[in-house]
Amino acid sequence: MEFTLLGAVFAGILPLYAVLYWEAKRANAASCTRNLWDVALTATIVGVFVGRVAAMLGDGVYPLTHPADLIIIRGGVATGPATVAALATVAWLGREELWAVMDGLAAAALAGLGGWHLGCVVRDACLGTPSDLPWAIAQEGSTVTRHPVELYAALALFVAAGLVALWRVRSYPRPGVAGGVALAVASAVRLATEPLRPNLGGGPIGWYVLGVAIGLGVAVWLGRQPAPLVDRPPADSDV
Amino acid sequence: MQRLFISVAIALLAVSCSGTSVDISEVPKLPPVTAEDLNVLLDGSTTPVVVNVWASWCVPCRSEAPLLEKAASSTGEDVFFVGLNVRDDQEGARGFIAEFFPDAPIEHLFDPDGGIPLELGGTRGVPLTFFYATGGELITVHNGVIDERTLALQIDEIMSR
Repeated sequence: MEFTLLGAVFAGILPLYAVLYWEAKRANAASCTRNLWDVALTATIVGVFVGRVAAMLGDGVYPLTHPADLIIIRGGVATGPATVAALATVAWLGREELWAVMDGLAAAALAGLGGWHLGCVVRDACLGTPSDLPWAIAQEGSTVTRHPVELYAALALFVAAGLVALWRVRSYPRPGVAGGVALAVASAVRLATEPLRPNLGGGPIGWYVLGVAIGLGVAVWLGRQPAPLVDRPPADSDV
Repeated sequence: MQRLFISVAIALLAVSCSGTSVDISEVPKLPPVTAEDLNVLLDGSTTPVVVNVWASWCVPCRSEAPLLEKAASSTGEDVFFVGLNVRDDQEGARGFIAEFFPDAPIEHLFDPDGGIPLELGGTRGVPLTFFYATGGELITVHNGVIDERTLALQIDEIMSR
């Protein structure tokens, strides 16, 4: 049983729920009638499943002939297909109020991703490429100090989550803009930290670039739309 | 709707049964090895060594096999990869190699009793991966399925010693 992986999952779910709760208390999710917690969990599960199937197919292990391999999440989850599947799930579940659902999940998703990266502490998988910086860390028994790259990503995502949440409280961005910005930020953080991660021949850089482009494109396009007539509905504390 | 379910069920069955049977005639028999043999190989190594313990009946081993093949191919002659097949039979082991390690530069050895991993300082569980610096110094033992980041990190560690 992959208890460390389970621990990292909890490290991701806790901040996700905390931000959804915090935002609901401040009516940030008020324009959305969907239960954002359900949407987030469903999208996560679908994303992981599709990402795992994609990784298996990429490795030449076929899910229908080897169904038990599906549960070996550590065997690999393809980031790009997983993200597309999670976003498609959010879009499907929130199809009648897409921008409200995207915005409602924006800060929480960033915090959840930050928690997942912070979960490297439980998984013993925080270290990246060698570094001489004062905060570089060596793994047990080693003299080679390394970037704690997953902690960099976690920190950046937590800061971004806080800024997006405050932005939504104070500035009421146009519908969908916060969602677009969150997608761009999450992709940019992965893109910026990828060179510091050890890998066997390049990470999914193309997917991250695509995420930044789509997120920014959505944010800019929606930011230019006319302001909605009804700005803020009444407060609703239901997560 | 009923037709749809029946069609899907038949399609799934067809795909499940159509698993290509692998041709093991191209795969040579795995040479049996003892802990002493392996220690001699490690002590005399002029490159870092990764020893991956696997078995054809081990489901998680299947998941990490493509990763090990990728690592062995990408590191070339800088790292020597050994696949230690344990508690298995020759036919199963050769079938697994034909299916998942067809072209990987990995030296596969045969340990039918499965005692060697314990003598090397590991456990009886599979998969299991040992990382050795040049000269046979054991750096890390990874229990269970290894992911790409961990594999890349540990390879980087043994190469930097």
